[in-house]
Amino acid sequence: MRRASLAATAAALLIGLAGCGGSSPVATTPTPVENTQQLVVDLGPNLNGQSVGFDNSLYTNVNICLPATTTCQTIDHVLVDTGSTGLRILSSQLSLTLPHVADASNNQIGNCIQYADTSYQWGPVAKVDVHLAGELASSIPMQIVGPSNFPAAPAACSAGGVAAQSVSSLGANGILGIGLFRQDCGAACASSSPPAVYFTCPSSGCTPTTVALTAQLQNPVWMFPQDNNGFAITLPQVGSGGATTVTGSITFGIGTQTNNALNGAQAQAASPKGNFTTTFNGVAYPNSFIASGLGAYYFLDSATTGLPNCAPGDAAGYYCPPSPVNLTAITSGPNPSSSGTTVSQNVAFSVWNALTLIDSRNPAFSNIGGPNPGIFAWGLPFFYNRTVFIGIEGQTTPAGTGPYWAY
Amino acid sequence: MNKAFILLPALIAAALPGFGALGGSVESVATDQVTLHAKRAVTQNREYTVHQISSGDGTLIREYVTPAGTVFGVSWSGPTIPDLSQLLGTYHAEFQNAMRAKPGRRKSGVVHNADLVVESGGHMRAFYGRAYVTSMLPAGVTPETVK
Repeated sequence: MRRASLAATAAALLIGLAGCGGSSPVATTPTPVENTQQLVVDLGPNLNGQSVGFDNSLYTNVNICLPATTTCQTIDHVLVDTGSTGLRILSSQLSLTLPHVADASNNQIGNCIQYADTSYQWGPVAKVDVHLAGELASSIPMQIVGPSNFPAAPAACSAGGVAAQSVSSLGANGILGIGLFRQDCGAACASSSPPAVYFTCPSSGCTPTTVALTAQLQNPVWMFPQDNNGFAITLPQVGSGGATTVTGSITFGIGTQTNNALNGAQAQAASPKGNFTTTFNGVAYPNSFIASGLGAYYFLDSATTGLPNCAPGDAAGYYCPPSPVNLTAITSGPNPSSSGTTVSQNVAFSVWNALTLIDSRNPAFSNIGGPNPGIFAWGLPFFYNRTVFIGIEGQTTPAGTGPYWAY
Repeated sequence: MNKAFILLPALIAAALPGFGALGGSVESVATDQVTLHAKRAVTQNREYTVHQISSGDGTLIREYVTPAGTVFGVSWSGPTIPDLSQLLGTYHAEFQNAMRAKPGRRKSGVVHNADLVVESGGHMRAFYGRAYVTSMLPAGVTPETVK
């Protein structure tokens, strides 16, 4: 994709030169940067001839380079996750030798991310150039996941969970975390009582450490020189029986080019921790959120929704109603451009029998759900048949300042 | 809630034997406190006691203890997930087995077995969860107590 846009630019230059006929330079309007990149939901990365992806995984290609060089590598099937921040590439998939980051005592810095299912990724922080569409995030910190030449995950990171550090356990070659925030951890990790996210790793072992904002894993989007206030993900409709492949796009910037206007999308601000309110049957659930890295609608419980849980087996952890059930919830959050007002939107969605869906062997489903007591976690199904904008914290957009979701 | 509220200073001591909390004795709560470098507050109710352990990074852990001194429930919230191998104690293996039996990646962290309930939720910067053993709930105490 990057190569294609470079070729187009070169062609435009050649045409321009021909038109000038060798006369003195003429001032020109800068050509807008290519800001759209393809996304896909498919069967996932290939491992020994087998596709090893998990259901409803949204992937893209990420071109990474040694900082300020043209020594590059394209990683396919990187999971696009709006629920986390930072680029994480499995060590096993890296051919580049990226420069690791060290602290003032010359100890390597380890980074940890945990997920609600208690899986985690652990590994050193390294600097990298990240190319997405025609955009470039220069020399930003990322995580190399699970290299063998690095200390094992400390207990404060693994926390009794399971490592998702191989292609088969992650179902992807890495994670592109492009969420609401500028950094993965933010001010908490720059404070004197940091949570167990960054570790300094002398030979005596890795312990939690304070890391300045600029040295933390960065959301690549806000590091772009332009189109850096947010982005939009657009995916088509997926029928009730699922789809074998879904192709969509991510467009960088909000209201910065002709192709990324909000077009009436309603912005709802997220809290400093990345949540907003979802109301269902008159009850408000304030710790709700949207995350493209989740494979289903994970919400409430069987008693509250009336949806039966699936039996143990292929569909364990999902809902299994005998026929499709149509539901409506209301999402709401403060208006990012007008203090004191709240923006609310109805969200209609459908949940069908997860066992039937999974047995179809399709990878993409718009109507798969599972329990998550006390909250709504709107996973990838929410993104089908929609354009979802994400405004990044502290960044100015036509709908106000992020963090927000708009749709 | 009866209000006997006692604040204890942070313990700085060699770690006690590292057995976990859920289903264990109340002594294991002190182990958690040491491991977490945290402060403890104790709230006495008629049917149970709550030990609340808070650490400087915003992690909050509550351990629910029967009058006989057994931890029947735990809950947590904070920027990261606390060490569940420690908090769930002997029930940790059952939780892990149940999670392994579920297909997929980034699935829900919810396990409802016959006796053990674990509900892990949230995301980076805002995790929360709880666990309890149904058969250990004191008379008159409902699962909603553990929060």
